[in-house]
Amino acid sequence: MEKVIVTVLANDRPGILASVSEAIFREGGNLDQVSQTLLETQFAGLFIASLPEGLGVEHLQQKLRSVLSPQGMDILVKPMPEPDTAGPPPSEPFVITCFGPDRRGLVAEITAILARHRVNVTNLRAMFEGGNDPSRNLMVYEADVPLATDTSALSQDLRKRAGEFNLVINIQHRNIFESITRI
Amino acid sequence: MIHDREILTILGMLNNEHLDVRTVTLGVNLFDCVSDDIHRLCANIEKKICGLAENLVPTCNRIGEKYGIQVVNKRISVSPIATIAAPFGPEGMVAVARTLDRIAQTVNVDFVGGFSALVEKGMARGDEALIAALPQALAETHRVCASVNVASTREGINMDAVLRMSRAIKEAAALTADKDGLACAKLCVFANIPPDIPFMAGAYLGIGEADAVINVGVSGPGVVKKAIDRALREQPSMGLGDIAERIKRTAAKVTRVGELIGREVARDLGIPFGVVDLSLAPTPTVGDSVGEIFQSLGLVSIGAPGSTAALAMLNDAVKKGGAFASSHVGGLSGAFIPVSEDLNIAEAARKGYLSIEKLEAMTAVCSVGLDMVAIPGDTSVETLAGIIADEMAIGMINAKTTACRLIPVPGKKAGDMAHFGGLLGFATIIDIPNASGKDPFVTRGGRIPAPIHSLKN
Repeated sequence: MEKVIVTVLANDRPGILASVSEAIFREGGNLDQVSQTLLETQFAGLFIASLPEGLGVEHLQQKLRSVLSPQGMDILVKPMPEPDTAGPPPSEPFVITCFGPDRRGLVAEITAILARHRVNVTNLRAMFEGGNDPSRNLMVYEADVPLATDTSALSQDLRKRAGEFNLVINIQHRNIFESITRI
Repeated sequence: MIHDREILTILGMLNNEHLDVRTVTLGVNLFDCVSDDIHRLCANIEKKICGLAENLVPTCNRIGEKYGIQVVNKRISVSPIATIAAPFGPEGMVAVARTLDRIAQTVNVDFVGGFSALVEKGMARGDEALIAALPQALAETHRVCASVNVASTREGINMDAVLRMSRAIKEAAALTADKDGLACAKLCVFANIPPDIPFMAGAYLGIGEADAVINVGVSGPGVVKKAIDRALREQPSMGLGDIAERIKRTAAKVTRVGELIGREVARDLGIPFGVVDLSLAPTPTVGDSVGEIFQSLGLVSIGAPGSTAALAMLNDAVKKGGAFASSHVGGLSGAFIPVSEDLNIAEAARKGYLSIEKLEAMTAVCSVGLDMVAIPGDTSVETLAGIIADEMAIGMINAKTTACRLIPVPGKKAGDMAHFGGLLGFATIIDIPNASGKDPFVTRGGRIPAPIHSLKN
């Protein structure tokens, strides 16, 4: 059974999930995982589905586009690669928060440092409303930091860069948030 | 996924409201160090503590960094030295104090507590030697803290010990007259001393404790104050029951921080985790004050009528939140009102809102006692003993801990300022009214019997 990932982009409105899931269902697909998010007015959805024998990726994409594109949706269907047998390296979950004045390139600068230290971002919420009010410009990275990563060096690099941008940065193990807020 | 609101709330507590782990205290049992030779005893103590505490400070710093929570103080508490060094006289006791001071510097901890004796029912030779050694030991060392338990609900009040402690306090003050009697800031007289306090100056490791144990003291008066302020902004007409609920929830969050850090430090050091002591312990910093909470609750100042009721509510809510959030809550766990260590309380004393009598009344409902109270240097031994006996009586009758950390500031009188430095802060010297100076009550000696409700068996 082949697995595919369907990407959907659209102006947000009621009924997008209903239309996409129905279209996949009609082609014989079975949803394994779904995730969606909204950024300003834009809907973005990811659907992982298992396809019946003989239903190709190209065919499914063509069918979905024929139904959903007229409704204003951009559709991309790709085969799911086989999972890496080695799996991700053992890691610990951290939360990295940055506040500070808005400027171009903040996400690029921070993620470049994370990438250099082999840190995998598992979730990012960034909100830039502009101006110098730190509370209006916020990045929250949830990230897996490999056990092999030198956390002191990572922390030092992040703080140095944050200092250059006048950002306040906090790098904390995720457990602190969970232990305080979830009993 | 963690919600942004949760993250922002916690970051606010850490960055703006002074949430921290006030102390991680390593308790070390010294009974296997005893010897009939003072040099061997000191060598054994040094070897054992240094072996266990070698990595205490780096471990606390590393784990604090990992969670973004500062572990402000790292400390050590030990078995009561009066018992460990019982064969030796006062000179031997001072030698042990010097050893503890040297160890504290070696392993880079702020304080070592446990230069202590438990004498509520009577004094053994070691206890007498330790009390005799207190003034010199505290004057000559920097990081050694002492405590003497002179009363308990089960045994009553040892008035001979109360009088001796009064003399020791006066002598300790005299020996450090150039520092406003600083030695007394490292000396607590207790009723019902808990065996697992991580906070100084009362920390010692009780007889029934493990060979080594990690106890954690979490603070957070600023977090509680801000929680009250937020609640009243959202709902200005909020009643005290709801405010108490907010305090309780906040205390639970603060306790969870201590539990997390304490357990990880204990695990990394391979030492059992003991208790979280959730106490609202202020520092002389704006926004880190217990006194400010009274103003948030709607009083003009701590000490004004209503303060005892407010403190009772605060203390109880803190205990309830802490008890819910931790598997083992211990130590003092409540609100501290150390006069010199809290800018707001010190100011209340300066303006006359707080008298010695009001402070004493408030200690009936909070977790400690007359703490860091500067009194006139010419306060007599008898008057001092009377103040201590009153405070011990509150602890004995109410089956709670009370303590006195009183500083008779040499050469200074009521209204003058005393400066102790650092976290010990500064304070206006409080008047002691109606002190005849020679009341024979306290010199009659003997033991005030335990109250009827001590007969529980």
